[in-house]
Amino acid sequence: MLALQLTITGLQTGALYALTAVGFSLIFGSTRIFHFAHGATFIIAAYLFYYMNVSGYGLIAGIAAATAGAIAFGLLLNRFVYVPIQRDEGSFFTVFVASFGIGIVVQNVVGMIFGRGYVTVSTPLSFSVEIMEGLYVAPIAWISMLCAAVFFGILWGFLKYSQMGKALRALADNPELVRVFGLNPRFIAASAFTIGSILVVPAAIISGATSGLNPAMGHHVMLISLAATIVGGIGSVPGTLLAGLALGLAESLALLYVDSQWTEAVTFAILFLFIIIRPSGLLGRSAAH
Amino acid sequence: MEAYLLNLFILISIYSILGVTLNFIMGYAGIYSLAHAVFFGVGAYAGSFMAMHFNASIFVTLPVAMVAGGLLSLILALPALRVRGEYFVAASLGLQVLAVTIFSEWKGVTGGIGGLIGIPPLDIAGFEIFKPSQFIFVTVVALVIILFIINRLVHSSFGRSLRAIRDSESAAAAFGKNVPLIKTISVVISSALTAVAGVLYASYLSFINVESFMLDTSVLIMAMVIIGGTGTQAGPIVGAALLLILPSLISYLDFLPQTEIGSIQQIIYGLGMALLMIYRPGGIVGRKKHSETGKE
Repeated sequence: MLALQLTITGLQTGALYALTAVGFSLIFGSTRIFHFAHGATFIIAAYLFYYMNVSGYGLIAGIAAATAGAIAFGLLLNRFVYVPIQRDEGSFFTVFVASFGIGIVVQNVVGMIFGRGYVTVSTPLSFSVEIMEGLYVAPIAWISMLCAAVFFGILWGFLKYSQMGKALRALADNPELVRVFGLNPRFIAASAFTIGSILVVPAAIISGATSGLNPAMGHHVMLISLAATIVGGIGSVPGTLLAGLALGLAESLALLYVDSQWTEAVTFAILFLFIIIRPSGLLGRSAAH
Repeated sequence: MEAYLLNLFILISIYSILGVTLNFIMGYAGIYSLAHAVFFGVGAYAGSFMAMHFNASIFVTLPVAMVAGGLLSLILALPALRVRGEYFVAASLGLQVLAVTIFSEWKGVTGGIGGLIGIPPLDIAGFEIFKPSQFIFVTVVALVIILFIINRLVHSSFGRSLRAIRDSESAAAAFGKNVPLIKTISVVISSALTAVAGVLYASYLSFINVESFMLDTSVLIMAMVIIGGTGTQAGPIVGAALLLILPSLISYLDFLPQTEIGSIQQIIYGLGMALLMIYRPGGIVGRKKHSETGKE
């Protein structure tokens, strides 16, 4: 029964991991921008929702604010940091450092406004209900999985059938050809940031109600996103999705054997094994070198 | 005031060692590590363990700490051999997170969250160094020796191979360079020298706990190197001095809340990193256009 309990918790965590990681993977896969501040997008969305919630504005306003904040941050960062850097030369290093610096700024500004401790969004949805003998599941677990399913369904349709979705995949495959074809890579990149940032929002909001928020959690979000992107295979959205789910499950099921402070070690071990044994990831093309 | 300045200079020279050693792998080998504080910590804990349980002589503590740091760094070298920058950032971030858990759980060696208290002062051939006015000489000498070692390495054929690898790994391999071996050696050297800073730090404060070796420290060291100038000799030292003087400068500004000095310092260097990358990627000391530091 404990295993089943942990599986459900793991799927809940994994669904949120997958959403966040796919956001990063989509941006990185199509634009090749190492968007380390993706963790900061998460923080901004989560704390905006938290703020709206404690101020009593209600659910819809909270979701709207979080979404608007996430998109605005992603687009502004792209426009005022990444684009100027790439105009000269877009080495991995410069983009990473700039993104990293912005992440530090966001973490500390949020910490100064909201405090550095944990805060939680309180909702009756996170109270566990006994659905079978000895099996307790909070409604929010189902909401997480449903959210992930809906968002991934829409994303799949978008990437497969819409004009912009096709352009995004094309940009990931061959940026030169996209330019030759007459599409504007900069506009496509902005769309990637918009979609990638939107994907963070449900995970950010739900995390606020389940695990709680902390301004420093951006690094954890980034570790998970990076791990899922690499384990899934860089450039592969389905791979990242699977890897995100698998990491959530693995962290949760590991509790059968180890104490909770070691869960991040499990993520690290999986990431490490993949880097050494299969750097191209689960579904990736061989892209390690 | 004098005690305050001495303390500041000692910390600057210790952090300069950290910056210089990180710069060695970051600026010359193109390995971007977010786990530098791990080796700082390993050196501090290993040195303290020896000093507290066996012998406080630096001829015991330093070699043990350096060997411990060097051996552990093989874990970090392993992924670095296989993959490109973005993978390595992830691997080192993971190692840093894991190390913090180990530092806070392995009570027998690290004292757990509470840390180690009463670490003996440095013992150099029978002389105990515990006055800050003496300690500053030790740290400055250590910094100069480490600078000298790294300077020699960078200007040897080994250093040229490193830069060749940073600029183009496949070209270096095509010229018959043993890329994995060269990368491994550079990571091991860097980590072993980082451990020296750990020993100095622990015996200077006589108290350490996990908080000195967390991700924030790795980030701070990386910021020092980047803001000072990656791949330059003086850059990491300039960066270390700037970022350590910054908090005291902020505390002079009365209109800023004193409780938020740590946050304000981080905001300033975070912004500094982003702005430098946009306008001057080579850092303060570095060249204006960065042909020297970048790697595609």
